[in-house]
Amino acid sequence: MAYAYLFKYIIIGDTGVGKSCLLLQFTDKRFQPVHDLTIGVEFGARMITIDGKQIKLQIWDTAGQESFRSITRSYYRGAAGALLVYDITRRDTFNHLTTWLEDARQHSNSNMVIMLIGNKSDLESRREVKKDEGEAFAREHGLIFMETSAKTASNVEEAFINTAREIYEKIQEGVFDINNEANGIKIGPQHAATNASHSGGHGGQQAGGGCC
Amino acid sequence: MASLNGSEELRKFSWSGIPRQVRPITWKLLSGYLPANAERRESTLQRKRAEYFAFIEQYYDSRNDEHHQDTYRQIAIDIPRMTPESLILQPKVREIHIDIPRTNPLIPLFQQASVQKIFERILFIWAIRHPASGYVQGINDLVTPFFVVFVFEYIEGVVENFDVSSLPDEVLQNIEADSFWCMSKLLDGIQDNYTFAQPGIQKKVKALQELVSRIDEQVHKHLQQSEVEYLQFAFRWMNNLLMRELPLRCTIRLWDTYQSEPDGFSHFHLYVCAAFLVKWRKEILEEKDFQGLMILLQNLPTMHWGNEEISVLLAEAYRLKYAFADAPNHYKR
Repeated sequence: MAYAYLFKYIIIGDTGVGKSCLLLQFTDKRFQPVHDLTIGVEFGARMITIDGKQIKLQIWDTAGQESFRSITRSYYRGAAGALLVYDITRRDTFNHLTTWLEDARQHSNSNMVIMLIGNKSDLESRREVKKDEGEAFAREHGLIFMETSAKTASNVEEAFINTAREIYEKIQEGVFDINNEANGIKIGPQHAATNASHSGGHGGQQAGGGCC
Repeated sequence: MASLNGSEELRKFSWSGIPRQVRPITWKLLSGYLPANAERRESTLQRKRAEYFAFIEQYYDSRNDEHHQDTYRQIAIDIPRMTPESLILQPKVREIHIDIPRTNPLIPLFQQASVQKIFERILFIWAIRHPASGYVQGINDLVTPFFVVFVFEYIEGVVENFDVSSLPDEVLQNIEADSFWCMSKLLDGIQDNYTFAQPGIQKKVKALQELVSRIDEQVHKHLQQSEVEYLQFAFRWMNNLLMRELPLRCTIRLWDTYQSEPDGFSHFHLYVCAAFLVKWRKEILEEKDFQGLMILLQNLPTMHWGNEEISVLLAEAYRLKYAFADAPNHYKR
């Protein structure tokens, strides 16, 4: 299927916060109450539309356990967006955000868009982390923030799509070098064809070169 | 078993699959948990079981101590998340049907509190006695085949929804101890899969890549051109010994052979993975891009697989092992 851009995402955060469930809800529109442990990384994809343009999202869902960190780290490079997820019913998953953020910043390209997600918002009675706290953390570290529920699908679309919109805007502003695939962005075949003079593969095209 | 005293002979017979009735005792022998000498078996069992119960006495209370609580918490979070999906044990009759819906009766084994406690103890004791690796996700799956095989010894006929707590306490305790020791034996052979940065897995995935490049250049090139890296799909194949890719009944059959084959889990598994990948060559070559390939490779359609498919896979792996083990490049097609 033709697309204008391809964005690569990574989903990170402690084990059991609902990373795989968020992905499944986004790609398959279903919820699996018991989701087996993710081993290493798993892959998912979906097409979305932004500004009338087809954008393909390719998403790496990573294992949360520390032991897999040496494997999952290599997926930061080449990601344009990251969803950093914690569980609003488990304070410790919120406390670990700083470590995750340091890891992400150290191993990713500096323009990577990071969306902070407080998941399991349907479990209000078991809430341990206030929404304000998530907002404050996000503000302090320059992240976008949302609370989601992979179970009820609340805000799940929005989380993935708002991240894409932010990346898209950065492209428009010329912040991202879209010809460097290490940034996690690829121009679609359809798009490349309309810019035939620039389709020389690597280099050539100006960053965000007013192609839209 | 009396007639199969020589362990060489036992291995030879077991390689092609062990009948269900004798599988529990055979696994205990093949894993090296029980001695070949029949007269020493009962006393060995008693001694090892007592040893395991002593570990629990000694260590299990420390699970909430500062230096152990992270390990225990992780295990306690993971066990209830083990999906029933990995536990689908279709009754024999259903094996012949190709289209088994995923909603078929499952064994809600991990919803049973007593089972969860057993797994927690086995994994916690193993983890704190092996600090070089500790508990790594995936190891939890490796308890399942032993536990299920040993429980089946006490179940006639219908296995679905079997309530494990209906077994006498003593029986259940012995199953737990036996599962612990057999799993420990297995893990002794593949510990570098789970130590820091998982060097055993890195090495085996590289070896898989190298092997596939020699046995099926077309598949290998296709993956390369689509920018699919072996680590992206085969990491799990190594970390969980293909358990995530196969129904449990197939894993159990596979382990008959792994325990009969020298270095089955650590070495022969590599050839099984290669045979497994190439088995899907048609489907792989039909997928034209990275996305299609990744989705295919992490959801290979094995739901209907039974003994027959595993036998074919193992025969091919065996052939590869002899054709390509340490073989120079002139074997290249």
